[in-house]
This record gives sequence, structure tokens and C-alpha cells, in this order.
Amino acid sequence: MNKALALTALISLASFASAKDITLVWSGAVTGPTSDAGSSYGKGVEDYCKYANSEKMLAGVTLKCVIRDDQYNNANTQSNFEEFVGNEQIPVFLGYSTGGMLQIKGTVQETKVPTLTASLHIGIIDPPNNQYMFLPVASYSENIVSLLEYVAKKERGAKVALIVNPSPFGRDPVVDARKAAERLGLKITDVQEVGGNNLDNTALLKRLEAQGAKYVINQNTAGPVANILKDAKRLGLLGKMQFMGAHYAGGEDLTKLAGDAAANFIWVTSYYMYDEGDKPGIQLVKKIGAQFNQKPDVIRSVNYTSGMLTASIAIEAMKRSGSTINNVTVYKALTSMVGSKKFDPGFSVGPVTFSAKDHVGAETMRLLQADATGNFKAITGPMQSQMFKLIHPMK
Amino acid sequence: MPASRFTQTGNYRVRYQQDQTIFATYAEQLSLVVLLLALLLLPLLISKTLLRDVNMIMIYAVAVIGLNVTTGYTGLINIGQAAFMAVGAYATALAATKLNLPFFLAIPLGGLAGAVVGTFVGLPSLRLKYLYLAVATLAFQIIFEWTVGHSPLLAQGGAIILPPVEVFGIKATFLNHNKVWYYIILPVLVVMGLLWRNILRSKHGRSFIAVRDNDRAAAAMGINPGVTKLTAFLVGSFFAGIAGGLFAYFQKAVVIEDYGLHTSVQLLAMAIVGGLGSVPGSFLGPLFIVALDRGMGGLSNFMSERQIFPPGVDAATALRPLAFGLSIMLFLIYEPRGLANWWRLSRMYFKKWPYKF
Repeated sequence: MNKALALTALISLASFASAKDITLVWSGAVTGPTSDAGSSYGKGVEDYCKYANSEKMLAGVTLKCVIRDDQYNNANTQSNFEEFVGNEQIPVFLGYSTGGMLQIKGTVQETKVPTLTASLHIGIIDPPNNQYMFLPVASYSENIVSLLEYVAKKERGAKVALIVNPSPFGRDPVVDARKAAERLGLKITDVQEVGGNNLDNTALLKRLEAQGAKYVINQNTAGPVANILKDAKRLGLLGKMQFMGAHYAGGEDLTKLAGDAAANFIWVTSYYMYDEGDKPGIQLVKKIGAQFNQKPDVIRSVNYTSGMLTASIAIEAMKRSGSTINNVTVYKALTSMVGSKKFDPGFSVGPVTFSAKDHVGAETMRLLQADATGNFKAITGPMQSQMFKLIHPMK
Repeated sequence: MPASRFTQTGNYRVRYQQDQTIFATYAEQLSLVVLLLALLLLPLLISKTLLRDVNMIMIYAVAVIGLNVTTGYTGLINIGQAAFMAVGAYATALAATKLNLPFFLAIPLGGLAGAVVGTFVGLPSLRLKYLYLAVATLAFQIIFEWTVGHSPLLAQGGAIILPPVEVFGIKATFLNHNKVWYYIILPVLVVMGLLWRNILRSKHGRSFIAVRDNDRAAAAMGINPGVTKLTAFLVGSFFAGIAGGLFAYFQKAVVIEDYGLHTSVQLLAMAIVGGLGSVPGSFLGPLFIVALDRGMGGLSNFMSERQIFPPGVDAATALRPLAFGLSIMLFLIYEPRGLANWWRLSRMYFKKWPYKF
């Protein structure tokens, strides 16, 4: 206990001493698996950080914007965390993958450095060691439950199949999905695991068809989902089954890979889309993207917006920390981001709120559907899952 | 006997007993002592980040010695070494969290669990050889990953957090974690290295090599090839289990993603690059691959930042696997005996120095 206090004091004092130049680091997959999402996300973090400097958001403080490639390797994530928390005493850490975040949870708890993650795995903010872990937007589990709520409203008693990634990232929402389906009167006919090497999904789709599954919910990355959609189109199943997906399953990445097979795909996310140019957050995304000479496909990516939201939360918490910016004050600022102190940078469809107990930022989501041109259009207004709080209460 | 117990310029081993010695001269013993003393001082000389890499190299070295036991010395191709590491890691994690065992009991328990599972997985080696056996070990890798992913006891592949350790009253904290573990891993590596050197000069070690070279000839000489193969799997998996236990504690958590097929392939690459069937190669291989990984990581970052290639060409992502595959290929073509052979040639040169021949 005494050593933990000494460590916190050391980090706090060191942060105070170097308050004029603070490092904002994001550690994620710039290269390697999932780097298609990670590279845009990292650019979003970096550009918003540079923008904060250009706008002098933090009085008297210059942010050192560091993007560190962890190559989707947990050991590298741990190494990056140790380097920046141990050597540079950063006040907040921005992380990426599910595995990496689950692995450093214990270290985060020990060092008391608030950590915001790109992974939306609910286990990251579940006990134990969850006090300093924060999700910027609604979790995958909440995504899936909201899709089930949508299905239940459309067709009570419907048969639903889940296709998930063969990893903790994919599997985790299954337990909550089963509980929600039971309460909503839906029947989960099958849970299948599909990874990135699913070049032919005929057997899988025929099996789901034979089971009478009318709704297929994907908890995966865009690549495997695109392959499933293309096979479903080939087999003439697109009209018979409604394909849906959680945050990382959809977006520009999906329509780019699946082409017209992505038409009518229903996607749930907490972010505004690039095409919603009237939203202040998207206007800011475009402005920052142009300011830092990003390529159009990067600016269009929802992952670029996601990176900006995470960076904006971290920088806002630093701003609210006052003259002393360290892990203690940033944590306090984050956990008081509630009620009148909620934070709304405009990137997500609802404001970011955190408290000591609530570690999910923008809990509001929308369901969107892809049109024939591959653009996603909102089919619901901003909403929160009512069922999720009942089946997975925050601890 | 050599002309001098201090130096040796040729092979003076004329008796079988001499051939069994680990150290031929005092100079060899002294160089090991000097090396160990230098290694004891290493954490004081290098950065925390570099020390972390050294720890990783040492853990991989333990696993690669194990892989060398099965593949290098006994000729049984094993593509599931990471899964045996995972068995050790999960057994260690369960022993530490459910049974509250201290790390010095939990890690050996992980080694034993690895050995038991490894022996069981080695059963097909009684009937299978070469590629067919490789596929059997690959199957175990896949089955193990699937089993962990569906086992609530093992957090479905999510993280099992390990408690911090305390050694002689010093508790491992965030600030001293790498140093504390360096001084735990280093003696374990030395002990495991000496253990293998001793097994190698026993009848079991000679049986491994005999079965690798020709199992029928070995059987004709009274060696039981089946028992020998299973023993090789037992010993090799024990090393992997110990490495897994160390890795679990060092990473502070067990997550199945750390023990995937890519890790098995990486361990095999380390063994090939280091030199199959060589003890020094088991140290040099991990050193080379980790250094290559860090070097390519730096180059990838550089290329990404400078946007050297046109949009849509993700050359930075391709760089690591490309360098990794290319280095294995080049070693197989030009130096199949691996870095261990370069080590041997260097030693020979200095033994004869200043005479050229």
C-alpha cells in the first residue's frame, strides 16, 4: 500500500514538474493485424493532439503527440505503457486492442494512470482492476444488445444467429446477447466463430438458412463480414436474412470491401458519419483533416473520428485538471464529467459522461443502414439500450 | 588430455569420459563465470525498455531449448511449442490465483503440466514421422486455442491477472518489475541450460540423437525409439511449460493471444536461425529474432511517418513478416547450421589465433 502511494506520488510530482510539455501517447496497431482500422485511428489521435496545440487548448502547455505502433502485439503494448508511464510519467494513456488492454489492466490499476481504449470490450471496465479503465463509447456488448432490441421490436420471437470473431474481442458479447435474447423473447439459433481467413462461407450460411435464422448479427472486423455478405449475395440469401453488425463490423471499410453486397446491412455505432456534414463534429473532422493534409479516405473513415474523440476526451480532462496536470487530477476530471460537466465535442451522437461508477463515455448509439451506394444512413435516432443495464449492471 | 588445462588449440579428447565433459578447459569455465558476472551487472547498464527485451529473449531461449530437444536433437517436428508454453502459463496462473502458490512453486508446476500434456500429445509420434507429426502438433495448437477460448475457468482466453511476486523481501512493483524478473529469469535460464547440457551427455541425450539420425539403427542398438520420442516430448514440453510460467508472470497476465500459432512459428524460426540441435543456437536465435523485430518495427514506424509508399500500398505492415520470412529462407539456403555455426567458427578462429591454420 505504502509503495503504491509512493509510486502515485512520484508520478504525480514528476508530471507536475514537467507540466509545460506533456506527452499524449497512443499505442496501437499502425502496422500488423487490424492496422486498417488502427492507422486511421492513430492519425485521428495525432491530428487532434496537434490541433489542440495549434488552438492552444491547454494554457501554457504544449502537447507532445506520440503515436507508437504496437503491431497488435500485447507484449509491445505492455512495453509502450511501461516506457511512457515509467519514463515520461504521462497523465493519461490511450490504448487499442482488447488483448493488450486486458493484459495491462493490473498495471494500470497499480500505477493509477487513467487509460482510454479503442477496444470496446466490456471486460476492460468490468472488475477486477477496472478503476482507471475507460471506454470512449458504448461497448460491443451494448451494441449487440441494442441490435437485438431492434429485432425484437420488428419481430417478436425471431430467430437470430451470431457470428463472432474467434477471440476475446468476438466472444465476450455472447453471454450478454444470450441473456438479452431470452428476456426479449428471441431465439439464438447458433453462435459461429469466423476469423479473417473465411474465404468461403457457403457451409456456414447454408447451416444458418437451414436453422431458419432471419437475422444474423456480426461481432467482427469488416473483412470477414464483407466475405460473408458477398457469399450471402451469391447464394441469394441477402433478401432472406438481415445482416447486422457491431461497431467494428461496419462503416466505410465494409462497403469498400463488400461492394453492393453491403446494401441494407444494419450497423450500430456511436459516431456521426462523414456524410453528415451539418454536424459540428464532422465539420471539425473535415477541418482538422484538411489542416494536417490527410488523404480523403482517411478523413472519411469512422476510425479517424474515433481517434479524435478519444484524444479530445483526454485533452479535455487535462484542461479541466487546472494548473496541475497529472494522473490524479486527470482521473478526477474524467470521473466528474457528468451532469452539467458532461463533454460534447460533437464526434459522437451523444455527450461523453463518466463517473466513478460509469466508465462508458458516449453511451448513445444509432442504427444505420447501408444504401445502394454504400453510404450508411441513420434508421433510428440517438438511443441507449434499456435492456443492457439490466443484464450487465455496472460494478 | 589437452596440452594445457588453460587453453586448447585442437581436439585432445581421447577418452569417452573426456568427451562427456561440459568444459574442456579452465578458460571455458572462466569465460562462463565472466559472462555470468557481466550479465548480473547488465540491468545497471541498460535502459528499462531494453531490459524488457532481454527478459523476453531469455524466456524465449528457455522455450527454444525445449523446441531443440524435440525438433533439433530428436528430429520430431513440433509446430505447437507455443501451445505447450500456454499449458505452462495457464497452469502457473491457476496455481498462483486459485491455489495461492508462490511463484517458485507455481512455475515448476507449470513446467510439469507442460510435460504431462506434451507427453500425451507426443503419443502420435509413436506412429507418425516428419510432416505427419508436424500436422499432429499443429492440431494440438488449434485444439488448445479453441479449448481455452471456450473455457470459463480460463477466462475464455481473456486475461488471468497474476499477483506481484516478492523475492527476499523485495516486492516486484511497476518501477522494478523488469529488474526483479531479470534476476529471476537469468538463474532459471542458467539452470535450464545446464540441465539440458547434462541430459545431453547422458544416455537419454545420446538416445535422442541416435533416434534422430536413424531410429531403426537406434532400435538395433537396444534403444527404444518410442520411449525416446515420448521422453523428448516430455523434456521439450517441460522447458516450454517453464517458459510459459515465466512469461505469464513477466507479462503479469495470461491472454491466449500471446500463445497463438504465430508464436509457435516464431519459436521455430528462432530455433532454425539459431541452429537446430545446438545449445548456443538456442540463445542466439531468440536474440536475432527479437532484434530483427525491434529493427523492423523502427523501420516500419519510419516508413509510416514519412509515407514513403503511395496510398493503398501498406509496405510498412508487410515489412516485418517479409524480413522474418526472408531471414529464415536465407539461413536455410546459405547457413543451415544457423548462427551457432558462426559462433563455432568465431571460437575456432580465436582458439588458433594468431595462427591461421
